[in-house]
Amino acid sequence: MATDKTNLQLVVNGILNENPIFRLVLSMCPAVGISTTVMNGFMLGIAVLFVQVCSSCTIALFKNVIHPRIRIPTYTLTIATWVTVIDMVLAAYLPEAYAKMGIFIKLIVAFAIITMRLEMFACKESVNASFWDGIGMGLGFMFGMMALGFVRELLGMGTLLGYDVLGFKPLLFFVLPFAGFFCVGLMMAFFNYIEIVYKRAKRA
Amino acid sequence: MKNIFTIIFRLTVACLLAGLVMGTAFVLTNKAKKNNLHVNEQKVMLSLLGYSAKNPAPEAVAMHEVYRYLVGEGESLTMGYLLPLQDGTFDFVTIDLEGGFLARNPVDISAEKAVDAGERNQAIVAAIGADKPVRYADQTIVVTNGGKRMAYLLPGRFPGFKTFITAMLAVDQNFSILGLEIMEHEEDPGLGGEIVQNYFKNQFKGKPLETVKKLDVVKMPLPEEYLKGLEAEKNGLSAEEVTRIQEQYKESDIYALTGATISSRSVTNGVKGMVKKFAYRLAILDRVLDEQHIAVPF
Repeated sequence: MATDKTNLQLVVNGILNENPIFRLVLSMCPAVGISTTVMNGFMLGIAVLFVQVCSSCTIALFKNVIHPRIRIPTYTLTIATWVTVIDMVLAAYLPEAYAKMGIFIKLIVAFAIITMRLEMFACKESVNASFWDGIGMGLGFMFGMMALGFVRELLGMGTLLGYDVLGFKPLLFFVLPFAGFFCVGLMMAFFNYIEIVYKRAKRA
Repeated sequence: MKNIFTIIFRLTVACLLAGLVMGTAFVLTNKAKKNNLHVNEQKVMLSLLGYSAKNPAPEAVAMHEVYRYLVGEGESLTMGYLLPLQDGTFDFVTIDLEGGFLARNPVDISAEKAVDAGERNQAIVAAIGADKPVRYADQTIVVTNGGKRMAYLLPGRFPGFKTFITAMLAVDQNFSILGLEIMEHEEDPGLGGEIVQNYFKNQFKGKPLETVKKLDVVKMPLPEEYLKGLEAEKNGLSAEEVTRIQEQYKESDIYALTGATISSRSVTNGVKGMVKKFAYRLAILDRVLDEQHIAVPF
């Protein structure tokens, strides 16, 4: 049951049609907990992108030898392995980036989006398709996190990427953890609205 | 039945493969990581003392590492210090819990090897006899300038919100805090993770021993002026102004991080414990050194 989408369509699919945060509503913990600044969103996005691509390719490569009854433990093992490897490589060769990202990377083991992508896509598709799907999902996640971070950082702290742009703090409420839910909900509604408008325009 | 074996076999192979990948990555990266940690530690130590690339430490500044051990002596517990001597050799001095001098054994180890925990333990066991259990407790770095004591660097570890926080603390001869640096932590990003920020860790700077002894956490917003002083680098304040603000707030408690009172309290209590215990132990060690005429380079 190979996918009939082209590589580009797979990437766009991950960013728009099946955006992990706004469409699939997966990995809500990091989306709510960590998306307080644009930079946090970007860092976690990069880390997820790496792990997603590596895990997807691994599972797609070994899909025929993974026993269907024990696929979930195998997925978890694969993800944990890649997270650990990336953690060690970054700590050794990019200590500066690791100092900023290290704390996020370890969190990725438990992300729903990665396991779900392995289960829904990588275990049925070719390595090539899984690679591009992984890229799409990673970018989609990064986009979602950065969009949330943008809104929350701007409204909560009045800054963007650490630079003071507003000069005051409009609503401190937005930086607090529970505001993440409001933010995700509002942005989801916003994106749905855009989609409705777009479809209506297309029909007319 | 056949399924059981296939499942066991395939999962085992998967685990072995994963282990192989992680093991290889570990072997390939461990040396570089250790080196990074060491370089980072050195940099942190110097920056806590106020030195940087622009303002390097003078030649006369030297660091002497003192390792503290717990030694089982029959039923009771005693404390052992591995001390560098003036002639470059090492002595292991044991002191009982009341502060009385017990024994002094020369340890056959070189300064380079003393850095390695394994080598150090071996040499100490060889010096005092294998029948006494020895456990490493902590280390202190005595910083001297031209032979006179200038400051103490205390690497420490205390419980945080979820796991341990590793920190490095610098105190001067009177045990006033010179600076605090968080080396490793796993607090929540954005909440407890803020303990690494200047506006939190710089609050400890300049607090004298009397204040530290009864240091507490208050859940109040940071005063505007104090915040500016704590983030002096960002705000470009002059050194005099920073000292003035530090002086003004030197007796205040620690202002807790928003949404992370537990982390704030953990760090505060950790620092408090480190300074208090160190001041107490150093007094005992100094008295023993003095009574026994042990010639140390600090």
